[in-house]
Amino acid sequence: MSKQGISRRDFLKVGGAASAALAGASPLGSLARVAAQGDTAINVLTVGDPWDLALQSVTDQFTEATGITVNIESLGYTALQARLVNAFLTQSADADVIAVDQMWISQYADNGWIRSLDDFISMDSDANFDDFVPECLYSLSTWRNSVWTLPIASYAQGIMYRTDLFEAAGIDPLPSSVADAGMWTWEDYFGILEQINGVDLDGTSMYGTTVIGAQPVPVVHMYSQLSASYGTRWFTQFPEAPWDFTPTINSDANLAALNDWKRLYELSPPESINYLWFDAGTRFSQGDIGMFYHWTPYFYLVNNEGYLTGTPSPVVDKFETAVLPTLTAGGDQVVSLGGWSLGMPSTSANQEAAWQFIKWATGSEAQKAMGEVNVKGYQFADFSRQSNYDDADLNAIYPFLGTQLEMMKLGDGKVVRPPAPIYTSLEGVYGLQINQAMSGQVSSEQALGTTQTLFENILRGNQMIPYGVDSFDDTLENTKALQASLSGM
Amino acid sequence: MGLAYRYTFQRRLPYLLLAPSVIVLLALISYPLAFALRNSFWFWNLQMGPAPLYYSGLDNYRMVFQVTPFAVALKNTLLLGFLGTFAQFWFGMGIALLLHTHLRGMGLMRAALIMPTTLAPVVAGFLFRYLLEPKGGLLPWLLAGIGFPVPPQGFLGNANTALFSIGLVDTWQWTPFFAIVLYAGLLSINEEIKEAAQVDGATQWRMFWSITLPLLRPIAAFLVMIRFMQLFNSFDLVFVLTSGGPGTASRTLSFNLYREGLVNYNIGTTAAMTWIVVIIVSVIINLYLFFIYRKREW
Repeated sequence: MSKQGISRRDFLKVGGAASAALAGASPLGSLARVAAQGDTAINVLTVGDPWDLALQSVTDQFTEATGITVNIESLGYTALQARLVNAFLTQSADADVIAVDQMWISQYADNGWIRSLDDFISMDSDANFDDFVPECLYSLSTWRNSVWTLPIASYAQGIMYRTDLFEAAGIDPLPSSVADAGMWTWEDYFGILEQINGVDLDGTSMYGTTVIGAQPVPVVHMYSQLSASYGTRWFTQFPEAPWDFTPTINSDANLAALNDWKRLYELSPPESINYLWFDAGTRFSQGDIGMFYHWTPYFYLVNNEGYLTGTPSPVVDKFETAVLPTLTAGGDQVVSLGGWSLGMPSTSANQEAAWQFIKWATGSEAQKAMGEVNVKGYQFADFSRQSNYDDADLNAIYPFLGTQLEMMKLGDGKVVRPPAPIYTSLEGVYGLQINQAMSGQVSSEQALGTTQTLFENILRGNQMIPYGVDSFDDTLENTKALQASLSGM
Repeated sequence: MGLAYRYTFQRRLPYLLLAPSVIVLLALISYPLAFALRNSFWFWNLQMGPAPLYYSGLDNYRMVFQVTPFAVALKNTLLLGFLGTFAQFWFGMGIALLLHTHLRGMGLMRAALIMPTTLAPVVAGFLFRYLLEPKGGLLPWLLAGIGFPVPPQGFLGNANTALFSIGLVDTWQWTPFFAIVLYAGLLSINEEIKEAAQVDGATQWRMFWSITLPLLRPIAAFLVMIRFMQLFNSFDLVFVLTSGGPGTASRTLSFNLYREGLVNYNIGTTAAMTWIVVIIVSVIINLYLFFIYRKREW
């Protein structure tokens, strides 16, 4: 594993020249340190997620404050990954800042394709590193006790439900806080779905819910939440050391989850077997879905009739958000935590300017500015910093932030969808089997049995069983310790 | 310069002039194939490391069959290739014969026919994704209206109809290509031959099977081969319409290659799969050429 750091001398050269300007300066004032770079331009490769729209809307503020021109190029998920990998393999300086999916961190870090940000963070006090929600850092940005990226958009999962339907059906509102969710279980969730499925609401026949069923990736994103809540773990031991990647996917807990997942599908529109993320969100916003769970960006996206259209949907002011239920009353919960972060390719020729941009874009002020962008509606609430969740202005725009933060605090992106090497290969076969079970091509038992066998074949074929490389005790506690250490605490 | 030398030079000149093109062409074909062949025997997964890690013998070939849904993808690809080519050829032939009748409006029809083929497959895919949308899509609505059983999860969401739907969209897009090329072939047939057959009392049906079709054979054989190879490599429509689903119902070999190469970044397995596909396509095409041209020079 390669871990590159800038030299103290280089850092002090830049930092020292600007340090006088730091004291008492405005939030953006600290960025004046790179103003001397004048005509510096950086290239940023991002992905076409909602946060990208918000980021592009406020990037001028960064340029005004620093004089650094930012060229942002947005790509689709697969195109971004392909372009990045090609650039890394050919060692070309394609971009100075890149959007990194949490699943790519281990690959990029272990191959030395991105550089560790530890030195930048520890030597830059205005990074306010201690402000990040530790669970977001842990799930999105750390690998083997280093910080490789900083979160720009963190997603947990939570419930959206129709208040008018619940009222008409005489169902109590769902808990929006973990403190009120002591008796809130998945069996309750299914009970409500069965009660509201087929109900006529103002002339619309309602579906109980909708699933994200398309294989292989989308279905794993939604299914893995249910499965993790039921206690499923992918491997014998990961992320705690020593790593043992012997798969445990064919378990009683996962069988129960898959059978219940099929129940969910029976209460969903039949075509949702092919739904991508936005298909499910859009279906809810069109008004014939009673309740579903999804990534938290849909807490605000469903206010649009279509995906990012800006046209108000029929469910505006008719839905509320709630926390996810547990398997047993008061039992343990684990929430899927995913999203995007910004990293720096090792090949970047403008590393100081790139760091300034990463620090700014993931900083509290820029994140707030992104949240206040109102182009086609408010389109960004995927905060990773505690200060943003505490912000009264943002809470006025996004009243669900309290629920979202509680889901974040229960989040564990390293358990629900473990970002181990070759995760994408595993996700590929897993999603396919779940989808086949939904379509009735195979039984739940067959699907999990095949998944287990394929996992073993893939993991053995890739030398992960037995695991011959050093493990790292990758726990939330260790990330908290790293956060404190880099924050100078 | 002696006469013998000039004779030899003139005999060799065409080869010399052709040599650069042939060498470049061979290099362009052979280098990637050789590179893929070499990689197919190495463990090279970009998720595990940026370079090939070790010689792995036939492991990648084993992985193709053990880990990827290769058999079902091959079955789907062959179904799509054979049925799609068959349908497009005969629909195209029917339209070409209609164009050849010189009925009113055929000129306009010829101009309109070319339009679907000018669309990018991705665009055609998105277009049909909306047309086939079970909630409000035009085609399910029309079909349901005439009593055709529409699957509740839609044509693209049903395991029995997903692959068929992809074939249908491809047929919509590429039948006009067959029609136009076959129509050009029909125009090239000497009318005197048909007139002679008519004088001999041949029916239209007999003339079609004994004169038209045999005379169209060279062009038709080429068309069928090209389209079969294109269909065998179908990716765009599969990606946009179903992503190979539901389950593996519409998974094709090209989609498998995409998943393994550009999603899983397993270069070794992808290379092995590439070689298996190359062998299968070569066998099919060479058998086809053998049977089509066995009594002819081509």
